[in-house]
Amino acid sequence: MGRGARFGLLLGWLLALAALGWLIGQRLHVTTDLRSFMPAPTTPDQRLLLDQLGSGPASRLLLLAIDGAPPAQLTALSRRLATSLAGDPRYSEVLNGNLDLGTLDPGLLPYRYLLSPTLDSQPLDEAFLADQLQQRVDDLSSPGASLLKPLLPRDPTLEVLKLAESWAPPHTPELRDGVWFSARDGALLLVQTAAAGFDPGAQEAAVAGIEQAFAALPDRGEAKLALSGPGYFSVVLGAQTRHQAEWIGRVSTVGFVLLLLLAYRSVRSLLLSALPIASAALAGIAALTLVYPQVHGITLAFGFTLLGVAQEYPIRVLSHRRAGEDAVASVRSLWPLLLTAIASACIAYLAFYASGVAGLQQLAVFTIVGLLVAGFSTRYLLVHLLPRRVHDVADLRWLARARQWVDHLPRPAWVPLLVGALIVGLLAVAPGPFWQNDLAALTPLPPSLLQRDARLREALGAPDVRYLLVLQAPTAQGVLALSQSLQGRADALVARHAVDALELPSRYLPPVALQRQRQARLPDRATLQYELQQALQGLPFQPGLFAPFVADVEAARHLPPLTPAQFERSPLGQRLAAMLVEQDGQWFGLASVSGVHDVAALQALGEGSHGDVRLLDLKAASEALVATYRSRILHALLGAALLLVLTIGVALRSARRAWHVLAPMTLATFLVLAVERVAGIEISLFHLVALILAGGLGLHYALFFERDTGEPAEQRRTLHATLVCVLSALLVFGMLAWATIPVLRAIGLTVGLGVAFHFCLSILMAPHADAAEK
Amino acid sequence: MIAALGRPAPARTAFAEARFLRMLDRPLVVSGELAWLGGDRLEREVRAPRAERYSIADGKVTQQRPGQAPRQFALGRAPQLQVLLDSFVALLSGDGERLQQAFAVHASGEASAAWRLSLTPRDAKVARSVAGIVIDGRAGEAHCMQVREADGDLSIDLLGALAADMPTQPTVETLQALCDGAR
Repeated sequence: MGRGARFGLLLGWLLALAALGWLIGQRLHVTTDLRSFMPAPTTPDQRLLLDQLGSGPASRLLLLAIDGAPPAQLTALSRRLATSLAGDPRYSEVLNGNLDLGTLDPGLLPYRYLLSPTLDSQPLDEAFLADQLQQRVDDLSSPGASLLKPLLPRDPTLEVLKLAESWAPPHTPELRDGVWFSARDGALLLVQTAAAGFDPGAQEAAVAGIEQAFAALPDRGEAKLALSGPGYFSVVLGAQTRHQAEWIGRVSTVGFVLLLLLAYRSVRSLLLSALPIASAALAGIAALTLVYPQVHGITLAFGFTLLGVAQEYPIRVLSHRRAGEDAVASVRSLWPLLLTAIASACIAYLAFYASGVAGLQQLAVFTIVGLLVAGFSTRYLLVHLLPRRVHDVADLRWLARARQWVDHLPRPAWVPLLVGALIVGLLAVAPGPFWQNDLAALTPLPPSLLQRDARLREALGAPDVRYLLVLQAPTAQGVLALSQSLQGRADALVARHAVDALELPSRYLPPVALQRQRQARLPDRATLQYELQQALQGLPFQPGLFAPFVADVEAARHLPPLTPAQFERSPLGQRLAAMLVEQDGQWFGLASVSGVHDVAALQALGEGSHGDVRLLDLKAASEALVATYRSRILHALLGAALLLVLTIGVALRSARRAWHVLAPMTLATFLVLAVERVAGIEISLFHLVALILAGGLGLHYALFFERDTGEPAEQRRTLHATLVCVLSALLVFGMLAWATIPVLRAIGLTVGLGVAFHFCLSILMAPHADAAEK
Repeated sequence: MIAALGRPAPARTAFAEARFLRMLDRPLVVSGELAWLGGDRLEREVRAPRAERYSIADGKVTQQRPGQAPRQFALGRAPQLQVLLDSFVALLSGDGERLQQAFAVHASGEASAAWRLSLTPRDAKVARSVAGIVIDGRAGEAHCMQVREADGDLSIDLLGALAADMPTQPTVETLQALCDGAR
């Protein structure tokens, strides 16, 4: 190929990459919502769990504390921050203790007699009214009178205030200058985000919005804002993990570049060999954007990890070049084997596509497209661009000695037996549980953050993020009735400190039947007027002052009972809407609990309800979900293994040769598992993905070592290529093994160990060079 | 003049208050003791006709009535109390600067003899509820405090020795005459 043609090819390739980049820029929509990566839930509790992970009130709650300045300044900052956040669509509720008594929609005011429990124990008769009115006289002579004066003519029994009090958070911090305040943490606020709780991307925007709003406040002085809550934690963890991964990535990239320069001594080769990987990544993402409306962030993270296999393709080509020979010629003899490697990896990943889990299907599309593009662009594009004259690695003296040493290693037939026995033995003595189902354990939070969260959560009476009381009934009214029937027992639990608070949906809206009962107890206009007249005897109120009250009671007698749909349109409706959800024709009431001290007592609430009332442990349910997910991955892996055996068997057309490739790979994979287990590591999803990557790399080692070219120089080149591959994988992933964040360490350690074991075992179990020659 | 009114905390004084409200056909009369406990802590204890105690501390108000659970609310919700705090504490601590901060002050008379302070709240939110305050006194002591609300309602407090002079059926005119007489 001439110089001009090569330049044209390079230009065309780069333009194609730019076009892919443009397409991605136009179409890529990354979602970070964990739910879309999870398998479809199978039980109602799992479905609720996924719902709660996203939209549950507890998971969307951010706890804020402003501290570090004199109290008066902190309370002023709290008020200004609340005002500044109140109009922002990113937040559905901002509370700082400054309760608005007008929380009942003016249109719903007459409903106060149906919502308030006052009339359950107390008819609106002369005795009650007289007592209430006398209290109002006292109120009017008190300094707080100006608060009451506007309410009085319409609401002499102050039902609106009673409702506002009953709707106030059950357990709130001390008030100072009208806002929540704790001596330890300063001014406290609660912010409910509109976005799903476990959507780190959206939570990041919400957290950034709060921090910006705070930074924009005047007169901040030394005051500092601290945040807490599940959404904030996901942001902190994401940033922490990203920071460490990037830092380690930079170091290992430098090492990787130096290694390739040392191995091939050509900057041009180095730069060009980056093209297939770049093409693979861009083509993989572009394919995803064409097939799926949204691409999951985890797919991309896992996918880039798995694409590490494609790094090998250019390395193999570079190592197998002969001096003076065109790269196109060098690759010809290599291609059938490389194609086998690419094809078997792709076919194996097909099993992930068949798993039926959206996240894994995306992963399969990404990696299959990526590997094919990397392989074919190496074979049909890269080789035309590589510089013509290079030195032949086969002439390296140290390599010849190394190959000789490798060839003379003993390869006893009992190696597989020994390794197999070792694996069984190690697994048998391994301590602790085999699987790690708590994904949060892989990204642990600093204890100081957790302590502060517990403290703020207790001070603010914020709901527990782990437990949720679920009430189930065929209708919304059924749920409300169930909720109402539990109220007494719930109050008893709170009274004996089994929980700090238990917020039932009927607290906001009593069932229709109860509203009707209360309605029936309301006196008619004439009766009320008479009773009121009697009650007013001797009191200083102007005649006719309470006409609006009489009119409201009369209106309340004829109102259609308030339904959840109506109530949800009022300012407080959001809270009820979050507590009352429909799913598959069933209605669920979600009662949040805070300050759980006695789990068994809470569970006992469900006794005798035949499962209609149950305590949902979100942690246990999410771990069960992870276990389900893992079993899907394991099934996919089993399918992948079968497909791999078939592909390799067909490609090599020999069971014996297939054994030499597949046995070391399988044994090395299980050896990694066994060693990690003995070291006390519990196996998580991330370990499994890392094992798959290591398996892909190991497949290459075994395939190339098994290949018998009958030519010592070519065998030396194979060793060179494999050494470069192993070293670069150890560099990139071995560095991750030193990370302090467990999830990075899990991937790094697993791939690092895997590469080492695959390399050693594929050498020790390769057919002996001498034997092959005979 | 205001500096001359200052005294050390705690300072206590008897009070009798008549409140003239448009929604009532006769005034409400209560009496008891006002106490400044130092700082921004103030107590208003009503002894007749029914016991009730309001205490203000740390920006929050606690209302206690015998036989009822205490109720708390933020000081910011009760502008009348804010005014009471600002004027009373400023006077008792002799803090003219604080008084000037909260109110536009118009003083007449002499500190050593009869004097009158007219206060108009500067804070717009407070002003929506309280239109103005007039305090009458003689020498180092305040005798009378009239608070006019924005809606026209009026309360008149007789302080110290004058508190005993509260008639059983006061009118605005008789009380204002008392205030003027005491000057």
